Amino acid sequence: MAILLPYLYTGGVYKHGLLIELLEDLGGYIIQKVVTGTEVNLIMLVPEKDIPILKKQSDELLGVMAEAPLTGVEIAVISPTLASHHLPHSACDIAENLRHPGANTNMIGLARGMGRRVSLSMDYERRLINEHDIAVFTFGSFRDCIINKKPKLFEGIEIPIVVTGGPDLKTEEVPGADLYVGNIGRTSHRLRKTEEVSALEKLNVEVGKIADNIRKEQSRDPLAVLPARAMKEIENQVPAIQTVLSPAPLTLQLNGVRVKLPYDEFHEKIENLEFDEGVILSELASVSRSKMKNYILIKIKSKSDVGFAI
Amino acid sequence: MDSLETFVVESAIASEQEFYRKIVEDNLSSLKLVPAIGRIKVVLRPEDSLFQMVIILRNMGTKIMISDISDIEAKPVAHEIVISIKKEQYIPELLGKLWERYERANISQPDRWTVAIHTDKPEEEAAFLKETIIADPRHKLHENLVDFAIRVTPEGFRVRYHLYKGNNFIFVASEEALKHEWIEEAEVMLEKLMEGGTK
Repeated sequence: MAILLPYLYTGGVYKHGLLIELLEDLGGYIIQKVVTGTEVNLIMLVPEKDIPILKKQSDELLGVMAEAPLTGVEIAVISPTLASHHLPHSACDIAENLRHPGANTNMIGLARGMGRRVSLSMDYERRLINEHDIAVFTFGSFRDCIINKKPKLFEGIEIPIVVTGGPDLKTEEVPGADLYVGNIGRTSHRLRKTEEVSALEKLNVEVGKIADNIRKEQSRDPLAVLPARAMKEIENQVPAIQTVLSPAPLTLQLNGVRVKLPYDEFHEKIENLEFDEGVILSELASVSRSKMKNYILIKIKSKSDVGFAI
Repeated sequence: MDSLETFVVESAIASEQEFYRKIVEDNLSSLKLVPAIGRIKVVLRPEDSLFQMVIILRNMGTKIMISDISDIEAKPVAHEIVISIKKEQYIPELLGKLWERYERANISQPDRWTVAIHTDKPEEEAAFLKETIIADPRHKLHENLVDFAIRVTPEGFRVRYHLYKGNNFIFVASEEALKHEWIEEAEVMLEKLMEGGTK
């Protein structure tokens, strides 16, 4: 199976269709296309050996191609609540920054996440968070809270946990966290000072490493079908997805796809999605009701579960 | 008293102190409170879930009457009152008051600096209008101060005590039931702040 690498193309709208056609001919996938005025952003998966061909085309169009290591990763950015204490700064700044290298982020405000003794998360919230690939918790400025009080919010979270906060702590000091990034505590201003921006950069790099680790683990027991391929088939076989207005109607995850269509109406169509090899999607993946709105969540099973991979 | 002549944030850990000072600063400027505040002291004790803040305000302007910002002239023959505005700043409040009393149809604005009111009793109404208060900076300030206190307090600290008396503002917040000592401590802080002043 060809190795696909994530890239972000930024360029003019003029003739960008050529690039899309070339990519499709080469067997790559377009994950997201955002047109803003005369600019277009394409997030795509490119077969490793064909990158120079695509680069040549992109140079001809005077566009820029850059690696986007967080492509196909859905990240939950979780703030203790949705109060003005945490939003728009710093939680939105963190989410925005994570989107630069291609990630899709969802912001989640817990109902009762604030405080020291009183903070808690609900079962519903935990299950919603577990639908994502990586959880980023945005905490405040107090060392004591981050080390002793807040980690109870991690209970029941099965995905990698990243914590941001003000003080300069080591990851080992925060129980339950897979990564701690300091210097991004509670603020009431936009994060744009040197140390804040470099902390955000560090967050991106380290989250990228976590995503790479997940991919590496996956490669030992690969998925029965590439999420990007399932996504492509949905685009071809379920035309209703073209009418969805949400950003990223099909959101790629490391081991699945979130389909932003109502579950009751469309889940059978999705389950019966046919692949060229003659298998249907429900043989390769579990299709369930997402905790987010009434969407459909596809989690693709691994090769060892299914017995074969396509 | 100069604005922000004392601005102290105290916490056991120096770095947290810096973070918090920045939060206080940002919120002060976003609520445009800087000119109103003379001295401010904030004490943080996260391990006790305690937040204390005392503020000494600078002397604010008194209540503003319509005669402070304009000349009022009654025209008995024309059944009209003409208000010539000197300070544009308070026009929204002025018009709000006038509309409430005379209804919109009776009020016209021939130009930017003039408001004309059609009324049957111009002289009595003019005398009344001269004494009417249209803005109270202290009231607005109080609203802003409470908003400010809630914004800077850690979000989980939902048990709050506040006292606004004269030019002094005391605010204590915690996650647990408030202890008397905490409020007393804040009062002592206020006294010291009043004496000490410069630091």
